[in-house]
Amino acid sequence: MTDRKDAKRMVESYLESLWTPGADQVDAKILPDTLAAMHKAKQPTALSSRLTWRTLMTSRTGRLTAATLVVGVALFAVFDSFTQPAWALADAIEALKDYRAVHVVGAFPGGTAEIWIRANEDKTHSTDVVVRGSHGAITWTKDGSTYHYEPAQNTVYFEHAPTIGMAQWLGPELLEMLSTAENTKIVRGKDPATGRRRVMLTCSLIDVHGAQSWVIEFDAASKLPIAMKQWPNLDRSGPPSFDAFKIIYYEDLPDSVFDVHIPAQARYVEKPLEIPAETVGTLSNPQDGISAEGLTQQEAAEKILRMTYQAIMDQDLDRFKSLCPLCRNWGDEFLGRIIFKPDKDDRIVEVLEIGPIGKTGHSPLGTIAAIPAVVRLKNGNKAEQQMIVQFRRLGDTASCVVHGPYGLPREIE
Amino acid sequence: MIEDRFLVWRFNRGDAAALCRIYEKYRDGLLKVAAALLNDRSGIEDVLHDVFVGFAQTVGRFELHGSLKGYLSICVANRARDRNRMARRQNTANWDNALPQPADLAGPQQVAMSHELVARLDAAIAELPDEQREAIVLHVQSKMPFREIARLREISINTAMSRYRYGLDKLRSILNGELES
Repeated sequence: MTDRKDAKRMVESYLESLWTPGADQVDAKILPDTLAAMHKAKQPTALSSRLTWRTLMTSRTGRLTAATLVVGVALFAVFDSFTQPAWALADAIEALKDYRAVHVVGAFPGGTAEIWIRANEDKTHSTDVVVRGSHGAITWTKDGSTYHYEPAQNTVYFEHAPTIGMAQWLGPELLEMLSTAENTKIVRGKDPATGRRRVMLTCSLIDVHGAQSWVIEFDAASKLPIAMKQWPNLDRSGPPSFDAFKIIYYEDLPDSVFDVHIPAQARYVEKPLEIPAETVGTLSNPQDGISAEGLTQQEAAEKILRMTYQAIMDQDLDRFKSLCPLCRNWGDEFLGRIIFKPDKDDRIVEVLEIGPIGKTGHSPLGTIAAIPAVVRLKNGNKAEQQMIVQFRRLGDTASCVVHGPYGLPREIE
Repeated sequence: MIEDRFLVWRFNRGDAAALCRIYEKYRDGLLKVAAALLNDRSGIEDVLHDVFVGFAQTVGRFELHGSLKGYLSICVANRARDRNRMARRQNTANWDNALPQPADLAGPQQVAMSHELVARLDAAIAELPDEQREAIVLHVQSKMPFREIARLREISINTAMSRYRYGLDKLRSILNGELES
């Protein structure tokens, strides 16, 4: 070894080669105690009103699907900040509410994607989604399940829940739900190519997924978003992570748009049940949830789900938040409107059945389980909703909390 | 970094998701720092555990000066130094754990560096005075500028740089000496 540069290079190689324990092992040991320490130490403060998007619009079946979700967020997150008179929120809602389907074409690093989404007839939530990537990957929903085909592996990854789509279709709830954009600026001008008036909106926000910023282009006449770019940083530097260069709205679409054909020899692999790592922290407050001491997991899950639905029917906000702590990040007014739905026909009025634990998985806090529930709505319909319950042992006490829905609800009658 | 400032802001408001994000963002790098600074590597997880639990307890009053990564790296270095001192005092350092076993070395670097060389470097780095070893690891692994090391250690920049240089020189001397013998 001749000089310090050599020594530094050797140290760099040595440091890279150093063994460290696996992340899962470390997380299980450190994360619960860290979160418990924070909960114990923190003073009562107003929690962030930022929405946990994924609890309503879930899933990440690869980069392609993520692009779908990103589009959903970016398109609709900004309207609430759209306060200038010529672009009032009401106008935007009015412009959107007649459309039951959307077609988005965009590019993400490594390829392009075409996204088709269609809502149910009442336009309350999406029922059909297909995302087609230029490299052959396809993600779609069918009969309450979600599938993702990877051509390189000739494999279809599936899960028995509709985990892509929109739990709220285009409308005030969704706009309010996603009103998290910060630093919003609006610039008006004309498209030099077409001469059409357009409005460019820039905004940025940072959440647990990291920094994000957008430029969204609206057609001034229709008030509809017609293009969007997203960056994984606050200052829109570098190449965008998704560039939706075409957005078209339809009153409806033929079923054939949502037909998917994959090779007959494709292998089918079920996706494991998972929850996002960034939501684990919110589930770790020992004061939330219920005790599971002396109960089987099935008994505890049934008990907490019945209590949760009862809290919804009683419109008991505090109780609901303590059972389903992810909702603490939501504003009360929004929570009341989106979950309790006091003035709507699709609000829950009766719990008909809590089914047996189906799929299970693990988070750093312990076992998670998906449990189906069947409820009756005020309009007489029945809906099935799978819910994820997080079982945990904090200190010496076994307890559980509701993580949230596993996929979107399905009307079954 | 602006992202860290937002995360700290949210953490101070009691946002557990922000704490998780901070943890995930810096976990792997801090594990390396702990591994490089501890004589007994069975304590890597304990060091990280203590650092993050301690950090979590500052919720609502944590003030970020400089980089969060630098702050957490210094916390790991402090804990590692405490453990090394305690082990030396008790003379109970488990040297069976001190050196990585062959199976512990993985990845392309294993090809680049022989087990023998890694073991020699392990021993040589363990021979360095704590402050020199720390200056090298913080500067090379955590990419901390000497200015930041100096500020967090409350020493002059020259001292921070000297510790780094002396450390590297001593490493060279130890390794060259071994080669000659």
